[in-house]
Amino acid sequence: MPLWYDDAELFRHRRAAPIHEWERWVLGVLLFLGVQSVVYFGLWWFRAGHVNNLALFILLSFATWYGVFRILVGWYNVFHIDQPEPQAPAEGLRVAIFTTSAPGEPYEMFVRTLSAAREVRYPHTTYLLDDTRDSRMRMLAEEMGAVYLELLDIPGAKAGKINAALGLTSEDFILVLDPDHIPFANFFDRVLGYFEDEQVGFVQVAQAYGNARESFVARAAAEQTYAFYGPIMQGMHGTGTPVAIGANCTFRRKALEEIGGHGIGLAEDLVTSIRLHARGWQSVYVPEVLSRGLVPADLDSYLKQQLKWSRGVYEMLFREYPRAFRSLTAYQKISYFMIGSYYLVGVTSLIFLAVPLLYLLFGKQPAVFLLSEYIQHAVPVGIFGMAVYFFSQRWLCDPRRERGVHWRGTLLKIGSWSVYLRGLVLAVMGIAVPYIPTAKERRRARFWTLARLPLAVLVISLLGIAWTAWMQLYVMPESEVLITTEVTLGMVTFALTNVVLMSGRLYAAWVDRDRGERA
Amino acid sequence: MKPQKSRYKLAFFALGWLIAAGILFQVVLGTGFQRIFSAVDERVSRVAQYFSDRQGRAIRSARQTSRSEYLQPLHTQLNSVTALRNPPSMLYGIYDGGFPNTFAGMERLETALRFKFPIISFYSAWGDKPAQQFPIRMAETIHRMGSVPMITWEPWVVDFDARVRTNLPPVAEREYASLAAIAKGDYDFYIVPWAKAAAEYKRPIFLRFAHEMNDPYRYPWGPQNGNRPEDFVAAWKHVHVVFQKMGATNVLWVWSPHISMPWFEFYYPGPEYVDWIGVGVLNYGTIASWSRWWSFHQILEKAYPQLLRMQKPVMISEFGTLAQGGEMAEWYRQAFYHMTHTYSRGVRAVVFFNQPSDLTISPNYPLNWSVTQSQKASEVVAGEIARTTAL
Repeated sequence: MPLWYDDAELFRHRRAAPIHEWERWVLGVLLFLGVQSVVYFGLWWFRAGHVNNLALFILLSFATWYGVFRILVGWYNVFHIDQPEPQAPAEGLRVAIFTTSAPGEPYEMFVRTLSAAREVRYPHTTYLLDDTRDSRMRMLAEEMGAVYLELLDIPGAKAGKINAALGLTSEDFILVLDPDHIPFANFFDRVLGYFEDEQVGFVQVAQAYGNARESFVARAAAEQTYAFYGPIMQGMHGTGTPVAIGANCTFRRKALEEIGGHGIGLAEDLVTSIRLHARGWQSVYVPEVLSRGLVPADLDSYLKQQLKWSRGVYEMLFREYPRAFRSLTAYQKISYFMIGSYYLVGVTSLIFLAVPLLYLLFGKQPAVFLLSEYIQHAVPVGIFGMAVYFFSQRWLCDPRRERGVHWRGTLLKIGSWSVYLRGLVLAVMGIAVPYIPTAKERRRARFWTLARLPLAVLVISLLGIAWTAWMQLYVMPESEVLITTEVTLGMVTFALTNVVLMSGRLYAAWVDRDRGERA
Repeated sequence: MKPQKSRYKLAFFALGWLIAAGILFQVVLGTGFQRIFSAVDERVSRVAQYFSDRQGRAIRSARQTSRSEYLQPLHTQLNSVTALRNPPSMLYGIYDGGFPNTFAGMERLETALRFKFPIISFYSAWGDKPAQQFPIRMAETIHRMGSVPMITWEPWVVDFDARVRTNLPPVAEREYASLAAIAKGDYDFYIVPWAKAAAEYKRPIFLRFAHEMNDPYRYPWGPQNGNRPEDFVAAWKHVHVVFQKMGATNVLWVWSPHISMPWFEFYYPGPEYVDWIGVGVLNYGTIASWSRWWSFHQILEKAYPQLLRMQKPVMISEFGTLAQGGEMAEWYRQAFYHMTHTYSRGVRAVVFFNQPSDLTISPNYPLNWSVTQSQKASEVVAGEIARTTAL
């Protein structure tokens, strides 16, 4: 298989398709119908007669309507979809690229990144912020025309080094480039123009990946980002809420200095952007592929990255959000809340896993309604949800590669529920997760360690089904068995669906299992 | 300033249209989707029935015994409308508060009484919701358990969606003279498919339509809403005719007045429209100012001669006592004594009202009608049933 960074196709500059008037109308009609179907579903769902076990009904309602609420806000967001007009930069701006290196990151990656940074056309200075204590790095930087800054023992990981480097440099605009990202030569030509507006504090571009075909996990992790860097961030651009995503964000030095430097923490990017927004700085999202980088290619790295993110995002929600709240615009308040609560999917997944098991094992049933009634009222929401989803795929940054049913991403996301739950628990208890850069190479880990949880769900679900079958056959009164057939069928289907939803993570764990050799 | 103002105007204009379109859309969804999904519902229920059959068979082969086997001696009688019009011995039945979601309460009573009830009674309201159509799931399950269903069919006319049923008066006015409207055929859209489904079920069903129609304090189809006796009779006859037309000859018609209220005889539709007379005998004990501890005999004696004159078998369609104000076991002992002596000519069936949490008097004060709350009463009832049943 050819290496991805040798594939010239991947390094072609791409921009999301423009937005036409008729598309807005189609979107408007779809959203109107979608909202109506949510009303239809809601008027039916919240009927007093449906409640069986009140506590469970509340939990199930929370899980269900949390999902519906996210869909609604997503629709609201995409309705505001907008793109900035490309703007050529003024000449003579003073621009820097900061890229950081940490111990354990592969040397070859820096060769690629630094040589690509040198090729970026707009005059700039590249700085390598290094703490590897590897003598080759200094030589490499000099060879590639980059300035080498050795920044040892600085707390705050990547953000700490960036802040230290800010003190040592003087350029007005700084691109924070993740070392696994290979920038295109026209990067600054597409970005710097927006800084002509004195209000603009940072400009974020799309993140695209080169190694998405490397493995199941890589593909799934990449799929999870397509819609975000496509219609979602463009919708956020329309409402003045694009956030900084760590990699490939260009900052105005003045803005960063105003908030006391780059934010520190697991979600340092979010912390930085919420602080900048709170100070009144504006942000621009450029829906263009201007670099390609790496996405985690193995399950272990992916889960570690997700834990880091969920823990960090909650930290933003709990600590930064209340502080910034009053200074944010209404749109920003909604937007940061939605980002901050994204990983609650860990909680709702747990509820969805528990509901059928509680019924099968203990006979606790949250609600009473016919399965066909549920189908009748929920299906329209699903239809319009899918319709908007597929329609808005026309605004993906690289539709040819990114379009489709992103089932791998969905499966892996649901399969990672335990990690998101752990992130929440750690955040509530204030337990820190060490900052480790996401692995840049595919690694292997023990199958059992990775597959424990999905396997447990599988075993418990199957045990629950077997237990029900045994109880019905020998213990439960016959009449009780016969009248509950439909509920039991529904719950068994529900439990089996949960098993299927765990299969993505299980498969990934199997593929990435340790086969005794070291990668 | 001007563009700002016109923008607001535009927004209000758009909002109005959105709301209008929204209501229209809800109606379209309400009808269109309901129509599509009644087919889905039928299919889901058929799949469930299939699995239910398999479950029943599996249980029978695993346990070597089943409820329907216990009721086997009555099998021929319970599957014949003619035989059920004139049962040779006392028929027992049960309504349980857990219906239609669970049979657990019924199982408890049956275990306590060491008996299985040939009649299983439950309530079904009129309306547009799927749960308000012909209760095929419940009926099928009851049949599978070897019993006969009795459906108390309550014309709650307000439960029809005004947006869909444009021929009906608005909800607020609908309850007035609703029986006359039923007689006129205004509700045939609901009655016809229900009757058709009942006919398709084929096996006997006891149907208790618009019970306690002469009580002005209870249900909306009572005289307080301008429903005259002749309106009730006309409505009953109309419903009966529709059922005959649809081929639902498997239905046994249980006419159920409130016998403590006067003039119930004026509500009698006539012998050719009625198979059974249903009578509620519930002793509320001392729970309220209007009630005291009445025995079975005291409740029934005044109306009985009149009922007897109608020459139809009498069913105690709601039978039970509360614990407040007296001795339950004694009440049941006396009740059975009178049933088998004083009223043995008329009373041919008894349906226990096994509702442990009856909220019809007050939502905050649930009434417990279950026999099993008293060990002694359970023993008395078990003994009396064993003595009087053919099983």
